[in-house]
Amino acid sequence: MPRAIWSGAISFGLVNIPVKLFSAVSRKTVRFHQLDGEDNQRIQQKRVNPRTGEEVPYENLVKGYEIGPERYVVITPEELDGLSPEKTRTIDIEDFVDLDEIDPIFYDHPYYLVPDKGAEKAYRLLLDAMEAANKVAIARVVIRSKENLVAIRPRGDVLTMETLLFGDEVIEPDQLDGVPEAADQKKTSKRELDMAQQLIDSLSSEFDPDKYRDEYRDRVLDMIERKSQGEDVVVEVPAEEPKKVPDLMAALEASIAESKQQSKPKKKAASSSNGSKSSSSKSSSRKKPAAKKPAAKKS
Amino acid sequence: MYPATGFTKGQVIDFYTRAAPALLPHLRGRPLTLKRYPNGVEGKFFYEKNCPSHRPDWVQTARVDEIDYCLCDDLPTLVWMANLADLELHPSLSLAEEIERPTVMAFDLDPGEPAAIMECREVALLLRETLERIGLECFPKTSGSKGIQVYAPLNSDGVTYDDTKPLSEALARHLEAEHPKLIVSQQKKELRKGKVLIDWSQNDEHKTTVSVYSLRARERPTVSTPLTWEELEAAEGPDDLSFTPDEVLERLEEHGDLFSPVQELQQQLPRL
Repeated sequence: MPRAIWSGAISFGLVNIPVKLFSAVSRKTVRFHQLDGEDNQRIQQKRVNPRTGEEVPYENLVKGYEIGPERYVVITPEELDGLSPEKTRTIDIEDFVDLDEIDPIFYDHPYYLVPDKGAEKAYRLLLDAMEAANKVAIARVVIRSKENLVAIRPRGDVLTMETLLFGDEVIEPDQLDGVPEAADQKKTSKRELDMAQQLIDSLSSEFDPDKYRDEYRDRVLDMIERKSQGEDVVVEVPAEEPKKVPDLMAALEASIAESKQQSKPKKKAASSSNGSKSSSSKSSSRKKPAAKKPAAKKS
Repeated sequence: MYPATGFTKGQVIDFYTRAAPALLPHLRGRPLTLKRYPNGVEGKFFYEKNCPSHRPDWVQTARVDEIDYCLCDDLPTLVWMANLADLELHPSLSLAEEIERPTVMAFDLDPGEPAAIMECREVALLLRETLERIGLECFPKTSGSKGIQVYAPLNSDGVTYDDTKPLSEALARHLEAEHPKLIVSQQKKELRKGKVLIDWSQNDEHKTTVSVYSLRARERPTVSTPLTWEELEAAEGPDDLSFTPDEVLERLEEHGDLFSPVQELQQQLPRL
């Protein structure tokens, strides 16, 4: 179960609605560690002063901002603390806007807001009111000493909170090479446009996120799982000699069919108690353990 | 080693020492892959194929494909490995001296959720029936984890993985065709949901399968435990198919090594 990463309150006019914040994302990227291939030890990273070659103890580390080649302004944690935004623990709603006014390019990271104890009613009221007005709230919140601009919107029975990029964090397309400008656009003919639209129509469907999977990740995880279960494969063993299996299948089935004819088989495997054909069956002479006792208590 | 139950490394060593008379015959002479948990089952683990270079000189090794594997031939070696937090023992299906000759054909029955060990039980019984029809006796053990493994002992000259691998795949595919709702024969994850994978691919010179009497690195200490077919048939629930170290030692006292035929019984592969 995901854990709340922050708790505070939505501040809305004179109303405070205590909420807990959960990330709405669980990244599924497969992450690897770096090992020494010789003996599979996790490697360690050390902070080393390249001049002395000595490891630098944590307490000696300071922050430096590079203002020119090898010129730094040194900043202490205390100096930074003085500048941090006030930790208000509130999500201050400043405006309500229409959802489609927000260009999706500004969305950064999605979260859920869940009502804290006792806040269910006020939470529901805000949710319903926003739903009815079809509006999105724009708010400010400080999380881990970083100030965030966020968009809060109803999604079913829960409020979501999207952090938004600040305007100057988004790269404008005019900074990119090769972006066509309206002026020197070659005119598209009506016929071309109609054809393109037809194609789009024929591919149009509902967006179903479950339809798409990260197949590369699936393959990597599958391999990891197999290896972790004690197989030591290095990926699929490439093309072994041509498969004899299909031929074998036919022969196997013939053999099994023959065996079935010879001995009217026990109805079910489950009811058989002893090897019927095996030449050197020893199972009949072995002792049968009694059914297992209830699990022994563990210290 | 197992914080959830307080099972200590001392107890791991104690278990392996007591199980050694039954366990060692299944390890002797086989290249062994160690699966070590230096910080217990909740910590990180690693596979170790190359026998650690700091090994005592009485630890036997065998060189196979550029790798010096440990051979766990005697009690001191077993204790030494247990002390390295080698909770799981993964031997080859071959002896080091004849690495291309498997002494057994193994089937790893691995349930895809929501299927679980009781479905594996069903598949094990079906597999047994089919193997009997082609003249092979076989023996079941719990994997100690989620599944069941069925071993058909061979111990015969001239057998290679080129024999056992296609045959085991054909058997798996045959059973899959007969029981498509219960069984899959291919690794692909999307196929495995709610079914039991008959994993035949471990019949390979380069692979290992967890040994009988090996502990498993689960939350609680459980052991890969041999069963009689009668027990497997009679099992009514997952609890009947999960065994703690103490239970396994009790069973050994009472029944001896139920898996000894896997090392002793000589069987020929059918001519198909």
